[in-house]
Amino acid sequence: MQSGKVLFFLVVLIVTGAAMGAGSGNAAPSIPVPSGQEVFPAYSLIASPILSVDPSQAQPVGVGAAASGGNAVNVEIALDQFSGLVDIYFGIYAPSIDAGNVYLLTSSGTLEAVSVQALTSSLSSSGITPWVSNSSGEIIAPVLGDRSVAALPSGTYYAYLLVTPAGRLDSYYLWTTAGYIGAVPTPPADAANVLPITVNGALCSAYSGPNTPCVSVTVCSPGTSNCQTINNILLDTGSFGLRIFKQVLSVPLTQEAVGAGDLAECVQYGDGSSDWGPVQTASVILGNEPAVLVPIQVIDATFSSAPRACANADVSPSEAGFNGILGVGLFAQDCGPACTGSAENGIYYACSGTSCVGTTVALSAQVQNPVVLLPRDNNGVIVQLPGVPVGGSLSLNGYLVLGIGTQSNNIPSAVTAYDVDQYGEILTSLGGTVYSSFLDTGSNGLFFPSPSALLLPDCDAPNADWFCPPSIVTLSATNSGASGSPSGVISFQIASVNSLSYSPNNVFPDIGGPDVGEFDWGLPFFFGRNVYVGLEATGSGLGIGPYWAY
Amino acid sequence: MIGRTLSVLGIGLVLLAALHGSASGAWAALGESVESVDADSKALSGARVAATVHTGYSVREIAAASVVVKEYVSASGVVFGITWRGLIHPDLTQVLGSYAGTYQKALQQAHRGADRRRLRVRTDQVVVEQWGHMRNLQGRAYAPALIPPGVRIDAIR
Repeated sequence: MQSGKVLFFLVVLIVTGAAMGAGSGNAAPSIPVPSGQEVFPAYSLIASPILSVDPSQAQPVGVGAAASGGNAVNVEIALDQFSGLVDIYFGIYAPSIDAGNVYLLTSSGTLEAVSVQALTSSLSSSGITPWVSNSSGEIIAPVLGDRSVAALPSGTYYAYLLVTPAGRLDSYYLWTTAGYIGAVPTPPADAANVLPITVNGALCSAYSGPNTPCVSVTVCSPGTSNCQTINNILLDTGSFGLRIFKQVLSVPLTQEAVGAGDLAECVQYGDGSSDWGPVQTASVILGNEPAVLVPIQVIDATFSSAPRACANADVSPSEAGFNGILGVGLFAQDCGPACTGSAENGIYYACSGTSCVGTTVALSAQVQNPVVLLPRDNNGVIVQLPGVPVGGSLSLNGYLVLGIGTQSNNIPSAVTAYDVDQYGEILTSLGGTVYSSFLDTGSNGLFFPSPSALLLPDCDAPNADWFCPPSIVTLSATNSGASGSPSGVISFQIASVNSLSYSPNNVFPDIGGPDVGEFDWGLPFFFGRNVYVGLEATGSGLGIGPYWAY
Repeated sequence: MIGRTLSVLGIGLVLLAALHGSASGAWAALGESVESVDADSKALSGARVAATVHTGYSVREIAAASVVVKEYVSASGVVFGITWRGLIHPDLTQVLGSYAGTYQKALQQAHRGADRRRLRVRTDQVVVEQWGHMRNLQGRAYAPALIPPGVRIDAIR
């Protein structure tokens, strides 16, 4: 973010340094020649440019399949016709690779390094020339040839397209696109604040569903060194707190008391399924962090007598598909303030014998996200997963990094933070409709109302929870903070689940399904991104939590 | 992306507001007449009822503990749709009334996704859809045959 900001100002400085007359010209079906200085919000990397005669709607630079985790980099520039003659400049900047130079595209199609220093001193003496001069636009041009992600140094790349009235620099449009290209950087595996994630693969089980991210957690009897390490724990940014099936627990934990009874809870999920069981204090070790004492839920459908809402609660790991859930979403507790004041919250119960009655529970006694209790790395987490090729992978390895900006391996870089509403949700606009949305590793696809039953139909039974488009569909949505800004475009693809059903793979970047009233950015969103989960009531260089950043 | 930071730093700590009242909610089940809930509401004090009127139907909002339920009522007073949002789902046996049996039967045959974030159960008589995540569970149920002419299904939301 810092380096991007530097170049942004640099370009503005350069251009404003050369003052001349005002622009003119404005024809209806064309882009007006710039008559002022307009800088459009940066957009995420997209595969193909988007044309528009409204310059604020145009996204004139695309980068090919690499935009959505693919390997091919094909930079293409496209612009509609202008109302008069313009000059077009194109530059690429990758500060993590070469912080000292901007690479400008020359009229012969090659890249020329121009030092940032030269650019900042004086544009006229820097000797830069446009890529295209005296043009009326209507350009659709592949530039820089075909390249592959594998052959490029990994890092965040910024591409700038500057359009000025021909021969002048006082007025301009400046478009920017930016994103990470390359393998996701891996933190040192022995760092204390890092947990390996496997999507399917080593930490999951044979009965894990597709796109299941698994971690391993160590649980100890409080105050002892009697510990066990449990794999196949679902990593879930859509819930809060640790839950483990009784069947896989071999160390005794400390039952939480409430009044004369045992504290238990019934948590419900979006599909009406539920987990029931007692709340017990465990000593939990994440990565190689110090152990923390934290209330967890022991999932046990047979405990005392479950309330009606948990009458069909999960019974076993094999039925559920995991040994437990590690909820590392935006909030500290699974219920929060709503359960401190009302005993009829429908979640927490005090159980004596076979009788359970609703109870209030102090925040500190509620099941909570263990990250909150860490001594240092307690302001959030980063989910780091590499990109997945079209067609999928057998499995995928990544990292859950604890803390944001608290260690040398978790300093935010080139990400934007999005503020959220009271539910931890942002806004996503798709096809002109705005939905509440969230980023959820616990969802195994991208789920949203289909913008068109023709383009994106549901599959037939038994896969009706998924989309089955006749051919792969590329869509573009805009995410915004709950307050309306910032915003950025996300390009993604949806393939037919039926076409993948014979695949040996378990990890798919392009599966999704219908939803009714929300946009659920499930695990495919996380492929090829570092997603920052900023915890409520904490701060980092990205702002005050709760926030999402990527 | 570039040069932009979290613009609303001042938003700070946003906590889920405690829901109104502590009494159990009273609502008419799908397909029942709204008079029945009027009687129930009097019996169970504390549930807040707010109503809004639309063309061809009205919406009654009932805030119970941990969940807010909206009833979509036809001009003739029949509940043709119900939506909810809260920390919990409401008791569907109560919400669905005489449709509960049909729903339960269809539910047993429904395919549940691996990610437990959403569920759609569709029969000719009743449609039940649930979605959401922890601290924000939502859903809707409607009886297609009871939807008044001219009212779109998307109005139930």
